[in-house]
Amino acid sequence: MPELDRRDFLKLVGVGAGAAATGCSDPVEKLVPYVVQPQSITPGISVNYASTCTECPAGCGLHVKTREGRPIKLEGNPDHPINRGKLCARGQASLGRAYHPDRHAGPMKRGASGQLEATTWDAVQAELIGKLQASKGSTVILGGPVGPTLDAVIARFTEIVGARQRIVYEPFAYEALRAGTKSALGVATLPIFDVGQADLIIDLGSDFIDTGLSPTENARQFADARDLKKHADGGTRLVSVVPRLDLTTTKGDKWLPARAGSQGDVAMALARAVLDRRGVPAGADAEAVQKFVGGTTTASAAAAADIPLADLDALVDQLLNAKRPVVLPPGVAHTASNATETAAAVMLLNAMLGAIGTIVTIPPPSDRPAPATMVEMQALVEDMKAGRVPLLLIHDSDPAYSLPGFADALTNVATVVSFSSLDDQTSSRAHLLLPDHSPMETWGDAEPRPGVRSIIQPTLRPLLDTQAIGDTFLSLGRAAGGAMPEGSFRQVLESAWSGVDWRETLGRGGVFGGTPGATLVIGQGIGDLSFASAKLDGPGSHALIAFPHSFLGDGRSASLPWMQEIPDPVTKIEWNSWIEMSFATAESLGVGFGDVVSVATSSGTVEGSVFPRGGIRDDAIAIPIGQGHTVGQFASMANDGAPGVARGINVMPVLTTATGTGGSRIWLGSNAKLSPTGKFRRIALSQWTDNQRGRGLAPQITLTGLAASGEGQGGEHGGGHGGHHDEPPHTFTPAFDARPGQPYRWGMTIDNDRCNGCSACVAACYIENNVAVVGETQAIQHREMSWLRIERYVGEGNLEGGAERRPIPDREKLGELDVRHLPLPCQHCGAAPCESVCPTLATYHTIEGINGMVYNRCAGTRYCANNCSYKVRRFNYWDYGNRNFPGMLGLMLNPDVTVRGQGVMEKCSFCVQRIEAARQPAKDQKREIRDGEVVTACQQSCPTNAITFGNLRDAASAASKASDDPKRAYHVLRMLNLRPAITYLAQVKRDEHEGSL
Amino acid sequence: MTPPPASAVADSMTSFRRPRDSQANIDIMAVTKGVQWPYLLALGIAILGVIQFFATVAYQTYWGFGVAGYQAPVFWGLYIVTFVFWIGIGHAGTLISAILFLFRAKWRNAVNRGAEALTVFAVITAALFPVLHLGRLWKLYFLVPYPNQRALWVNFKSPLLWDVFAINTYMLTSIVFFYVGLIPDIAMARDRATGIKKLAYTVLAVGWQGTGTQWKAHSRTVLHLSGLATPLVLSVHSVVSWDFAMSLVPGWHATIFAPYFVAGAVFGGFAMVINVLIPVRRIFGLERYITNYHFENMSRFILLTSTICGYAYGMEYFIAWYSGVEAERTSFWLRAFGPYWFSTWCMITFNVIFPQLLWFKKLRTNLPFLFVLCFFINIGMWFERYVIIITSLSRDYITGAWGLYIVSPVELSILVGSFCWFGMWFLLFLKAFPVIAISEIKELIIHGKEHGGAH
Amino acid sequence: MPTLVSIFDLPSDVAKTVRKLKARGFDDLTTYSPAQFTEIEEAEDPKPSPVRIFTLIGGLSGVTLGFWFQIWASLEWPIKIAGKNFAAIPPFWIVGFELTILFGGFATLFGMLIVGGLYPKRLDKHYSQRFSAEEFGVVVNCEERDVAEIEALLREHSAKEVNLVAK
Repeated sequence: MPELDRRDFLKLVGVGAGAAATGCSDPVEKLVPYVVQPQSITPGISVNYASTCTECPAGCGLHVKTREGRPIKLEGNPDHPINRGKLCARGQASLGRAYHPDRHAGPMKRGASGQLEATTWDAVQAELIGKLQASKGSTVILGGPVGPTLDAVIARFTEIVGARQRIVYEPFAYEALRAGTKSALGVATLPIFDVGQADLIIDLGSDFIDTGLSPTENARQFADARDLKKHADGGTRLVSVVPRLDLTTTKGDKWLPARAGSQGDVAMALARAVLDRRGVPAGADAEAVQKFVGGTTTASAAAAADIPLADLDALVDQLLNAKRPVVLPPGVAHTASNATETAAAVMLLNAMLGAIGTIVTIPPPSDRPAPATMVEMQALVEDMKAGRVPLLLIHDSDPAYSLPGFADALTNVATVVSFSSLDDQTSSRAHLLLPDHSPMETWGDAEPRPGVRSIIQPTLRPLLDTQAIGDTFLSLGRAAGGAMPEGSFRQVLESAWSGVDWRETLGRGGVFGGTPGATLVIGQGIGDLSFASAKLDGPGSHALIAFPHSFLGDGRSASLPWMQEIPDPVTKIEWNSWIEMSFATAESLGVGFGDVVSVATSSGTVEGSVFPRGGIRDDAIAIPIGQGHTVGQFASMANDGAPGVARGINVMPVLTTATGTGGSRIWLGSNAKLSPTGKFRRIALSQWTDNQRGRGLAPQITLTGLAASGEGQGGEHGGGHGGHHDEPPHTFTPAFDARPGQPYRWGMTIDNDRCNGCSACVAACYIENNVAVVGETQAIQHREMSWLRIERYVGEGNLEGGAERRPIPDREKLGELDVRHLPLPCQHCGAAPCESVCPTLATYHTIEGINGMVYNRCAGTRYCANNCSYKVRRFNYWDYGNRNFPGMLGLMLNPDVTVRGQGVMEKCSFCVQRIEAARQPAKDQKREIRDGEVVTACQQSCPTNAITFGNLRDAASAASKASDDPKRAYHVLRMLNLRPAITYLAQVKRDEHEGSL
Repeated sequence: MTPPPASAVADSMTSFRRPRDSQANIDIMAVTKGVQWPYLLALGIAILGVIQFFATVAYQTYWGFGVAGYQAPVFWGLYIVTFVFWIGIGHAGTLISAILFLFRAKWRNAVNRGAEALTVFAVITAALFPVLHLGRLWKLYFLVPYPNQRALWVNFKSPLLWDVFAINTYMLTSIVFFYVGLIPDIAMARDRATGIKKLAYTVLAVGWQGTGTQWKAHSRTVLHLSGLATPLVLSVHSVVSWDFAMSLVPGWHATIFAPYFVAGAVFGGFAMVINVLIPVRRIFGLERYITNYHFENMSRFILLTSTICGYAYGMEYFIAWYSGVEAERTSFWLRAFGPYWFSTWCMITFNVIFPQLLWFKKLRTNLPFLFVLCFFINIGMWFERYVIIITSLSRDYITGAWGLYIVSPVELSILVGSFCWFGMWFLLFLKAFPVIAISEIKELIIHGKEHGGAH
Repeated sequence: MPTLVSIFDLPSDVAKTVRKLKARGFDDLTTYSPAQFTEIEEAEDPKPSPVRIFTLIGGLSGVTLGFWFQIWASLEWPIKIAGKNFAAIPPFWIVGFELTILFGGFATLFGMLIVGGLYPKRLDKHYSQRFSAEEFGVVVNCEERDVAEIEALLREHSAKEVNLVAK
């Protein structure tokens, strides 16, 4: 027990006296006002700066919200063409990189003891120069893709120091898609899909909503294209051909559970059919095309994919009858040995369907180096093993984690130099460490696609003794005697951006133009390819699907605690890896949820806990990519008391080492042999069951039901009480007024049909409201603190189950598609059950209809949480406020929101701090708050605009209008008559397929 | 007639010849005399238990409730279960001393003192739990309407606040009742004590000497207090039951709760009285005063209340089914066949099935059997509260939030500690005051003389 | 002024004696008994005990205070709770009731102490621990001239002992 300070003493007195000891809050802190007030800063008022998100290659625009010179939240840049003001969960969480406990405090050097020891920048740079000179011609510079300006600097640096090689390394490089596009369309770039333009999307596994090329953008386009107010027919249809039910598929209309790796065959079959009907596209080399497409029939494809021929034929008809169809190539998870050919087939198909140029944009290739292929990387590893690489510079990447064999090879590299800002598996093996700034502290730019140039500007004075990597390379280059560009990296950047109004550009966040289409040569190179069905290595009985984790990407986001704690949208698992397998598979192994099985492939063996699932084929298992780090406070088990122990499974080492055409990396190339180990490891599962037992928590209505007159959701569901109602739900059960004649009754409308469960809102809520991250051991005990959770139900539910002591695994069925996502914040009931039971009036109803929570008044009886029918209240079991924001993480707390102390209840406040922020100007201008002036954190971040917040008293407000939908609007648990302020719009089932409802 | 001879004229009482003291006094006061080693052992264990109890509470309060087994959605655990258990125990005492007094059931005289003591200590024990289960124990005073410059009072609409008032009223009234009954016996003890003990008794006896006026005031007081305590004892457990019945949780939200809880309380209370009195009677040789007749009467009560409980259990299930509300049905189905089936079946077996054996007079008067039976009944009653609280919370409306609650060592140590705390007080009581209401016993003895005529 | 201290064994005898003495106008007497016997109480003083007044007042003040305070406190700072009225009467019954009992109980206790003259004090000169055993006492203060008559009267009602205690 730590030494006893006054607080603890008082607590103990509290015990001793049993009463009457006055508890007291934190120790006294002094507020020191600015001596000279900086112009841009008004204490208490936040300032936004435009920047760019570097968490994934999509390159979304940011507005960095700063308070008193400290970034406290990331929001999307509304002017940015890619994300239009929205930001995904990973983007939100990337703010944590600035304050991360894993950050390197300054330059370090591996000393005689073999440990990294702090040193000075001069010393470490001098030493590095020396080594660079010494190993001229054999130095290798390895790093992730970076912005144009930095890229130029590094390129120049590479020449100056005479490095042998500069390699751009990206685990998810989509080499196959590049190569395929090149063969099919003559340009080796990543196509840009505007899925919103299509009326039929056939997804061969791109998972474009969740882990695709540009999820935020695609999710928005998709939701808008299916908006029921605009499209009475339900809009765009989505058919997924994937072996495993992923997040994108949950929003689809049909799911063909094709065998793992068989998407290629399906693509070929489709290509054949379309080719027969539409003929060779203009300007294409007919012979090559015919040769490539070959004779794959729907029959053979159906056999390869193990799906009913009828379904595939139906799909063909659907495709041929569609006006604006598009086919999406397989994503990382389904990159098989024939990925290049598959991609080529898909792009050719799109060309024949006329999607190229309208739905699919093929940008001209950029002058920046493309990411290296797997073959090149393997060659590098060989060189390293052979000691041919005396000096290796690594930046913006963690190959020791993501590249099998790399870590071992590092031991044969004389000097490893890392520029990593966070401690990771690579930098922890480095001999010299020149830590980069965090993204919040550095200058830079990004060009996610031609025509979209976006700026990264610092919003935080460097907290630690770090140096922007750009400046490091500049000074190293100069020291090496080369002619690097003049000035600091910032000046280099500014000159690179010459020709635009710098200040104005900074304000906007970049230069946002349209993306030009490249000039294409269709089907010329395609003849060189010959398609073959996917090959899987190894004797195993099950195909091993390694899919990108929704929040961890290629593993780079694993160090962000929020990404670990927010439940995976598909399985609702937190903080660890799992092995998905069908119930049949689990049964045959005699294992259940949490039992540890070992997965053996030709490349190795891993062990992990089982998550039995209906949504995966019997002949496949799936493991998420991104876990299994051995370094890092949150990425490894360190914060659960086991530093150095891997958190979950790193699946990459057990994947096949074979490569595809053009040396592309294969992610789906291994069979796995499964054997139970007899061990059991409970994994944190935030949702016990997805069976709603017919309680109508997340109802669904069919298009026909929507068109037909009569009963609406409010009657059919929400508990089956009350009949049809003409007026919108927020008026049919009005709140009891705290004081009549108030101008406001804050409320929210959530459109379940737009919601795809991506959890961006959850991340936003965590960061906006200083919600504590509790860690795996606590999460296993259902002690998450999230104010907003997204529940996921399958079907209307039935009365099975409930008696188990272990969580009840999900009830999806192969080929059936009935998943409902239900975002569940506090409902701010007009007759709140939590209020009446609180003995101390700590929770009460504000005059504006918010269910207020007074932390200071809470004595912690927890009665409110028991009586909350929505179970949205969270209890501070420990002193989370002080213990769970280690080190600098405390600096990113939102000063507008109280940090809750031990023993008090907390819950969603409708972002009351944002309401108050909007109230002030309104007051000054002697007017009421206008609709849309208050934007809650969840609403702000939602990529699909599923959440609308506003004043329900104002019938013209967006929230009121949105809820004015008698057919779809409903209240959860309406029969309890709690008069919630949140109205849900039921999900709509667009097509009725037999067996899929 | 001539005045008495001067020799007979005394100027003080000292000249009276000292008669032999009342046998009742001697027998019953013998309990308080001396210290037997089993007694010391028991007291020692109890005090150690109390120490670890408070140590655990301090530990939990310092680190927070993470050390307890709470897992959302179960926000109440062993503490509330045990709280309801102890509150229930108290009820038999008040029933015996108040209600049976009003019914002029004379057999109560032998057992009412013990039962009242039990009530007081049980309530004192129970009162600990709502306190120590507070997330911020040092904010306890928030639950009390104390004047403050914020002019912020408490929420009189909250069942928990009703609890605060009900329990405190019950505790204070029981203590008053207990004390009033004690006064004549304390006076008797005062007359026979010496030294410091005499001083203490003298103060407590507030100058009682059994004059006509004092007896008159005393009897009126006992009558009125009984009149007040009778509705009180019925209200207290009703209020406790409303902590649950007033909420929306399926399995809690039921109108039957008040009578159901009261019957259960009396049931468990009598079981505890028997469990305590059998050893006391045995160890201190009070067989003359506490006889099979008393135990048989109490067994009758147990049989009656057990049957009422059985009815309540049945009715709960029936209403759950009859309501047609799926959540209710599920909740109850899972009580019997869900993860907590064990506690449910313990409850039904121990509380409803076993006590039915009391239909046989042979068993009603077989003390070893009674002792064991009541022991099981106490366990069963504890499980009843466990079932009601834990199972209902773990499976409520939002299926996605379902969870399980697993008891933690910390909670168990506090549970054990509470028994030690209770035991400590009872043991101390044994040595301080007569365990049987002597004056009431004498009432019977003297009546006996009246009708037996000579002596 | 002489005092006659007599010892009895049976409450019925005490009751008779007291009634007779009172009939003869010897009112200055005190009875001591080891247990409560209604017959003696009635013989000595047939009027109902004033304790009930205390109980009544206590109870009434309790219920009044209870309701008044709850309503006042809820209206002094009106806070909306679960859409209920600020001063919602039904829930207030509970606390109102409990306070009735509480105040009634304590008032009764104080009533007893006051009416019975119960407070730490030195005991009567003639009190004996025999009265806390199983014997009864009747103590009569009387004029010198009545001593003989009273003693006779006592003995005739089978007093075990009669002692004349000088002033």
